[in-house]
Amino acid sequence: MTMATSTKTMTAPHVEWGRVRPARRTADRMMKVIATSFTLIAIVVLFWILGMLIVKGLGGLSASTFTQVTPGPGTEGGGLANAIVGSIVLTFLGIAVATPIGVLAGTYLAEYGKASKLADLIRFINDILLSAPSILIGLFVYVILVEPFRGYSGWAGGVALGIIAIPVIVRTTEDMLRLVPGSLREAGAALGAPPSVVITSVTWRAAKSGMVTGILLALARIAGETAPLIFTALNNNFWFSPNLIGGVSNLPVTIYQFASAPYENWQQLAWAGSLIITVSILVLSIIARRIVRGGK
Amino acid sequence: MLSTLELSPQTLDAEAPVRIAVKNLDFYYGEHKALKNINLDFRDRHVTALIGPSGCGKSTLLRIFNRIYSLYPEQKATGEILLDGRNIIGNDVDVNELRSRVGMVFQKPTPFPMSIYDNVAFGIRLYEKPPKSELDDRVEGALRRSALWDEVKDKLKSSGMGLSGGQQQRLCIARTIAQKPEVILFDEPTSALDPISTGKIEDLLEQLKSDFTIVIVTHNMQQAARISQYTAFMYLGEVIEFDATNTIFMNPHKKQTQDYVTGRFG
Repeated sequence: MTMATSTKTMTAPHVEWGRVRPARRTADRMMKVIATSFTLIAIVVLFWILGMLIVKGLGGLSASTFTQVTPGPGTEGGGLANAIVGSIVLTFLGIAVATPIGVLAGTYLAEYGKASKLADLIRFINDILLSAPSILIGLFVYVILVEPFRGYSGWAGGVALGIIAIPVIVRTTEDMLRLVPGSLREAGAALGAPPSVVITSVTWRAAKSGMVTGILLALARIAGETAPLIFTALNNNFWFSPNLIGGVSNLPVTIYQFASAPYENWQQLAWAGSLIITVSILVLSIIARRIVRGGK
Repeated sequence: MLSTLELSPQTLDAEAPVRIAVKNLDFYYGEHKALKNINLDFRDRHVTALIGPSGCGKSTLLRIFNRIYSLYPEQKATGEILLDGRNIIGNDVDVNELRSRVGMVFQKPTPFPMSIYDNVAFGIRLYEKPPKSELDDRVEGALRRSALWDEVKDKLKSSGMGLSGGQQQRLCIARTIAQKPEVILFDEPTSALDPISTGKIEDLLEQLKSDFTIVIVTHNMQQAARISQYTAFMYLGEVIEFDATNTIFMNPHKKQTQDYVTGRFG
C-alpha cells in the first residue's frame, strides 16, 4: 500500500533493555553449579577408590609379592607370584580363544552379512552377550567343561574369559571395518581382487589400529573378571600344573578370598593384587588410546 | 564458447577395430531404470569421453564395463557388452578376471594402506608371480609411465597414503597400468585435483592412449575436447549423440548436444 506502512513493518520494533529477569539468570547459574558439583562427586569417588588403592596397595607391595607364592592360612609373609602368572596365562588364553572368533564374526557382519536378517540377528545376540552377567558365563562353562571332565582347569577359565571377550571384539571389529570407505573396497575389486583378498590385504589393513585397540580393550575387560573364574579355574595357594589341569591361581579370585579373610598378610596381599590389576588395566587402556591416535 | 575450446588435432583412426561394443544395454538400480537402450562402439587405442549433466548415467555406464556394479546385488544390467567379441555381462564371466583386463581409476584417489611399491605391485601379484627383479622393473615402469617415478623413487617403502592428492591419483594410475589391462576406465579422475595436477593427468592420458583403450567420464567439457577422439553426450539415461569429438563440439547434429556443449544447460 503506502510507503509509510511498508517502511514501518521493515523496521525492527524497539524493545526496552531488561527483558531477561534476574530469576532466569539465577536459574541459569544454578544449573551450571549443580552439574559441576555432581561431576565433582563422581570424580571424588573415583579418586577416593584410587587413593585408597594406592595407599593400602603400596603398603602391601614388596619384592616378595612378585617372587613368593600365595601363603596358606596362618602362614607368615608370602606373595602373589603364582596368582600374577596365572592371571596372565588365563587372560591371554581368553584372548587367544576370542580373537579369531571375534575378528572373523565382526568381519562377517561388516563385509558379508551387512544388512541381512541373519546379520541383524547376530548383532542382537552379540549385544545380549555383551551385557550378560559374567557369573552366568562362569556357570555355563562349569557345566560344559568342568563337570564332564570332573575337575577345574585353566582351560575352562580361559574359555570363560574368552566368551566374555568375544562380543567386545565382534563389536569393535565391525565398527572399525565399517569406517573403511567403500571406495577402497571398490578400488581393490577393480584390480580384480576377489573379496577375500580385498578383506585380508586392504580392509583389515586400513582398520588395523582400531581392531588391535578393540582386542586390547577386551584384554583389559577380562583381566579383572572374577565371577567366571570361581567356577572354572578356581584358585589355590601353590604353583599350578603346566598343563593347566586342576585349579589355576589368579589375581581376581585371590583378592576375593584374601580380602575377606581374618589374616592381616592376606588382606595386605589383596590390596597389592588390586593395585597390580588396576595399574595393568590402566597401562593397557593407555596403549590402546595411543594406538587409536597413532592410526589417525 | 566454442572458440575457447582447445580441440585436439584429429588423430582418430576411423578404421581402428571396435574394442568394446555396447548393444541394447539397459541398466537398473532396483526398480529404477537408469540406462535405456544404449548402443555404442569404443575404438581400440582411442580416448572416448562420456559427457552429460549430473545424473545422466555416464558413471553408471562406465561402472558396467568392469562389472563393478556387481558388488551391489540390487543393480542389474541387461543387453550385451562385447569385449573382443565376448559378452561381459553374461553370468559365465569371471568378474575378477574381467577386472584385471579392464582397469578403473576413480574420482577420489584410493591408495591402499601400504607402501608405494606394494600399491603398484598389488595388481600384478594378484594374477602373476614374477621374479623379484621383473616385479621391480614392472613397478618402476608403471611409475615412470605415470610420471611419478622421479618423485617417489627414493621412498618406495613409505606409505602411499602420505602422497599429495595429485600424486595419489598418479599412483592409482600406475597401479592400474602395472597390471597391463586392455581398457582403462576413468571416472572423473581430475575432479578432486588442482589445475596443475589435472594438467599432469591429462598429459598422461594422451600418452596412455597409444597402448590402452580409454573411456573417461568427465564434467569438464574443455577436458573432453582436449583429450578425447570420440565423445558420447548422454542425457536422462540415453545416448543423445555419439560422434568424433570435433563433430560433437564444433558441429553437433542434435540441438540438445549443441545446447549442452555451449553451456546453455547442464
